Amino acid sequence: MIGLIKRLDWPGYVLALFLIFFILLPIVTVFLWAFTEQWFYPSVLPTKWGLRYWFKVLERPDVWAAFFTSVQLSAIVTALSAVICLPAAYAFARMDFPGKQFFMMSFLMGNAFPRFALIISIAVLFLTLNLVGTYQGVVIIQLLNTILLMIWLPTAAFQSVSKSMEEAAQDVGASPLRVFWHITLPQALPAIGAALLMTFVWTFYETEGAWLVGAPRVQTMPLLMMSMINNQLVVQYGAVLSVALWVPSLIALLLARRVMGSDSFAKGLGA
Amino acid sequence: MSDTILSADETANAPLVRKRPIGLLFIAAPILLIVVFLFYPAIRSIFTTLYVKQADGSYAWSIAGYLYFFSDGYSLANLARTFWTTIVTMVLLIVVNLPIAMYLRFSRSPLAVFVQVLALFPMFVPGIVIVYALIRYMGPNGLLQTLLELVGITGFQSPYLTPWGPVIGMLWDAMPFTLLVLTAGMSGIATSAIEAAQDVGAGRLRILVSIIIPQIKNSLLIVTALNFLGLFGQAFMPFMLGPTSPEMMGPFMLRTFSTVRDPVQAATQATIVFAFCSVAGLAYVRSIARRRAAEVVK
Repeated sequence: MIGLIKRLDWPGYVLALFLIFFILLPIVTVFLWAFTEQWFYPSVLPTKWGLRYWFKVLERPDVWAAFFTSVQLSAIVTALSAVICLPAAYAFARMDFPGKQFFMMSFLMGNAFPRFALIISIAVLFLTLNLVGTYQGVVIIQLLNTILLMIWLPTAAFQSVSKSMEEAAQDVGASPLRVFWHITLPQALPAIGAALLMTFVWTFYETEGAWLVGAPRVQTMPLLMMSMINNQLVVQYGAVLSVALWVPSLIALLLARRVMGSDSFAKGLGA
Repeated sequence: MSDTILSADETANAPLVRKRPIGLLFIAAPILLIVVFLFYPAIRSIFTTLYVKQADGSYAWSIAGYLYFFSDGYSLANLARTFWTTIVTMVLLIVVNLPIAMYLRFSRSPLAVFVQVLALFPMFVPGIVIVYALIRYMGPNGLLQTLLELVGITGFQSPYLTPWGPVIGMLWDAMPFTLLVLTAGMSGIATSAIEAAQDVGAGRLRILVSIIIPQIKNSLLIVTALNFLGLFGQAFMPFMLGPTSPEMMGPFMLRTFSTVRDPVQAATQATIVFAFCSVAGLAYVRSIARRRAAEVVK
């Protein structure tokens, strides 16, 4: 390879060392704290290990309440998002209609606004509609957050379905609905499933919208974790919740990424 | 991270596509949702900041909210803090990710996989977990301080609750996106071009400035524009990791809305944020529009 690599790959070591200190060790800290019963400064590792705080967290009713609120919210938002966005994704992939380019661009325009300022302006509107502090308000604000993902990932999925198979089915007399149901949908399904999974996980962890519109009456899991961190109750609570909730979501997202392919994300943003 | 999307290459589908206005029906629901709950509130909130209730209860056009903002020392300090944090984080994002992207593009070392996995890892970590991890790691008496003291470095000043707190948090959060866009931009650079430059004796810096930077100009533009939009309006990281006074516009808007309960002033602040971000937004929209146009021509 060209001279960018010396015999001793020192740029690699420098970068790896930086990333270990910057990315890896903070995550390791969370795992250490989750299994800590006592950790006195300046000990490098916990002074007493144990699962005591896992049981303590599981005994808290507010944790369970927030968990069920978050799961329910994420399920409702993901389902609504699918119903609203999947037909649009199909239309963008397989139909031609007046203003198609314009509408595609206008969805991308959502990226061109500062998110939190938008949330503030929606909250100002919700104030007059009495939607602040309500479940419905949180559903709407989180739903808006999912639209872009739910349209663009399935659009790409529908586009990647083999054209010739659809045409072959049409040639032997299958109706468009039949073609869609038996040819298009099964092929696009894995990628659509991945999009649903990602939407669910991201909605579960959506914080800013729920915080401004929902708090304090609608208590989602991230909001509960925020209050636990800020009140410095018991250090371990935040760690246990982080590990318990995040590990399953990490596995889900990794599965989703497998289906999607890796560089497609950046390309969609115009890279 | 929910803003990530796929590229849609609609030009490849020419044969089966027919002009069917029925497609408009399929996209009506999301369009309606965006118009009613995004565009309308944004325009309405700008309007409420300009058409204000007067002392006698009537409504009149007024820019009093803006005059107040730009004459109030605290508001201005928050705006300055927002600019400082945004620009420092943006510069650091490029400074950190450009070498990583170059390394990933031009190295075949086994370390490259390790570097890539770690650098993209924050993509899978939700904000609340990042915040918690960073507080425990770099906070006072955290693991970082312990490790530094183990090797004899004392006098560690925790960045937690200082202006550097949000910088570090947002750097963590925005790293994968920046890296992905930069590596995508670099995938188009021919290895032979670099080799040729080396043959005529060009140094590393020279190669970076004369060959790599010009080729990834568009990627740099997109990263800069989207990072500016993402960082300038951040509320969560600065709220959890940063100082309270002065604070960034995000937490400032939040406090004005929720604690001070002054929605009109909060909307004024949001409008000011929109205004400053519109330049970056325009740059982003223009660059994707140009790219779409290029694709259609192809």
